[in-house]
Amino acid sequence: MTIRMTTLATAAALGIGLAGTAQADDHEILIGIQVPTTGSEATYGQDMFNAAELAAEEINAEGGVLGRELRLINGDSACDPQQSVNAASNLVSRDVLGIVGGYCSGATMPTLKTYGDEGLPFVITASNSTQLIPANPGNAFMINSTGADQSKKAADFFEAQGVERLVIIDQGDSYSQDLADLTAERWESMGNEVVRRETVNKGEQDFSAVVSNVRSSDADAVFWTAYYADGGLLIRQLRQGGYRGTIAVGDGSNSPQLFEIAGGAAEGVFAFSNPTADFLPAAADFIEDYQAEYGQDPGPYAPLNYDGMKLLAWAMEKAGTTDSAAVVDALATADGESWLTGPIRFTDENTLARSNFIILEGEDGAWSYYDNQ
Amino acid sequence: MPALETFLQAIVNGLVLGSFYALIALGYTMIFGVIKLLNFAHGDVYMVGAFVGFGALSLVSGVVGAGWTGLAIAVLISMIAVGFLGVVIQRVAYQPMLSAPRLSILITALAVSLVLQNGALSLTEGSYKAFRTDLGFGGFEFGRLFISHQAIVLVATAAVLMIALEFFVSRTMYGRAMRAVSIDKDMCRLLGINVNRVVAITFLIGSGLAAAAGTMAGAYYGSIWYFMGFLIGLKAFTAAVIGGIGSITGAMLGGLILGLLESFGTQIPFIGSEWKDVFTFAILILVLVFKPTGLLGKSEVERM
Repeated sequence: MTIRMTTLATAAALGIGLAGTAQADDHEILIGIQVPTTGSEATYGQDMFNAAELAAEEINAEGGVLGRELRLINGDSACDPQQSVNAASNLVSRDVLGIVGGYCSGATMPTLKTYGDEGLPFVITASNSTQLIPANPGNAFMINSTGADQSKKAADFFEAQGVERLVIIDQGDSYSQDLADLTAERWESMGNEVVRRETVNKGEQDFSAVVSNVRSSDADAVFWTAYYADGGLLIRQLRQGGYRGTIAVGDGSNSPQLFEIAGGAAEGVFAFSNPTADFLPAAADFIEDYQAEYGQDPGPYAPLNYDGMKLLAWAMEKAGTTDSAAVVDALATADGESWLTGPIRFTDENTLARSNFIILEGEDGAWSYYDNQ
Repeated sequence: MPALETFLQAIVNGLVLGSFYALIALGYTMIFGVIKLLNFAHGDVYMVGAFVGFGALSLVSGVVGAGWTGLAIAVLISMIAVGFLGVVIQRVAYQPMLSAPRLSILITALAVSLVLQNGALSLTEGSYKAFRTDLGFGGFEFGRLFISHQAIVLVATAAVLMIALEFFVSRTMYGRAMRAVSIDKDMCRLLGINVNRVVAITFLIGSGLAAAAGTMAGAYYGSIWYFMGFLIGLKAFTAAVIGGIGSITGAMLGGLILGLLESFGTQIPFIGSEWKDVFTFAILILVLVFKPTGLLGKSEVERM
């Protein structure tokens, strides 16, 4: 018994000692990257992770943050609210000092509380549902333009195209429903009519019911507000089902993968997009570095996640500490410094204080810049 | 007359969906027939079939192209390869469990499902694979009614496979043996029927049909991923229950009925396409409550 007690005491002392040493000698700053690296949106998620890694490598090569090296931990959200909360708790338990990422708004939503309870600085790089804004406990910062900006761009575009009978299709999740609602609201406030709203189930492969509803409503434009994997299927089946009107997709579908899945059906499809690397003047070096490192093109959200990582590192440097509250305060002071995706300044609600949307058109199996002015 | 066109379009959509459900439901029902197992891994066999078909198509497309010929060869290769995979699954996972309590083999089936799913997940890194073919988007158009060439070929192929199966089961020696085994396994042994071989053949055919459905679904819808078998597996199970689990004609009928019900169900005003799955599984519950033996099943005391 005595022996056992002693062993326990030694173990405990050793444990404390180890923990103490670990903190004292810690040359690392752990950063959680919360992106979907598996599941339906894995392509975007991996691109985003790569971009953060690239940013961290560059920062480390220049001496790190506050003299400490950045180390990234993958918190795979799988674009699934349940898994993202688990991943978030895991990141918190591993003592990360900040979070970068957030792709699917629905999966980001519940993690706001997990990180908020710890007060961890959270740079939300891609998620842009307006529903995130009231749920933000104050520690999160959205560096992507929100759904409100996108819906305005979309409604203006449909009007410029002379669209009269608009059908809006979402997937029932926080991001796509938010964008669909906002667009419908704006479109109707402009005196137009949304002839039909449809919601499809995630992971569904057969959209024949939606296609016949679109056809029977005599739509001349369809707006898909959700993600590329199912969007590709929908576009394909719309064309397969004989629909010939305009098709536009939201920024969740502006992936090159859309062309792989939809094939020729994606020709002439319009996409509203955040500035992707190809269309960013400052991104030439970034594209080159990314290609050299990963042997592929950076996806549409890679620049935002790259910026998110750099912004967080900048805020830590500015705060002069990794203390969460100080870093959050430092993030709030971002004042139009120029980054890859443009200047970042936050509103009182911690959202990006400008709209960054552009319009792309599918042409020869790739996105090209479309100017509707 | 838009109402008529909508009605006909719903029939076309229902037939396409129903063909997939029927092909998969057949495997459920045949396997249940011979070893009284609800093979919950069957949806994942369908998924593996899609991936094998995808691989086969990329191999042969260099020689014969990715058109109808290429796809037909891919379907064949996938049917054979996955058919044997079914036999392997049966031999490795189910055979040793046959004398164990019924629940153990059911849990084994869930384990096989997880192995297949996570295997595909790790091989594909969880991303969607674009199933590219050169089939194009052509079709026949009558006003708002549109029937694509692909839909016609798909339904026709499913019909041919089902007629061939019906022929096999009712006219050949192994077909008769299969029916006999589903009635009384011990008696069959006494009469000198190689029960193990009959069970193996059942898995071969059932898995082959699922693989055909998987490959065709990949080509028709245009993309495949590791989780694609989950929902359709449950729906095909529903179809098998509607038709009467254990009944082969019932599975075909149940598949088509479920496809048509879904297709018409989503046309009802205020029940949009987001209610599709609710609709299907509500039917499953209703059938289980009011007619648990299904349309063509025979009543039998079974403990699961």
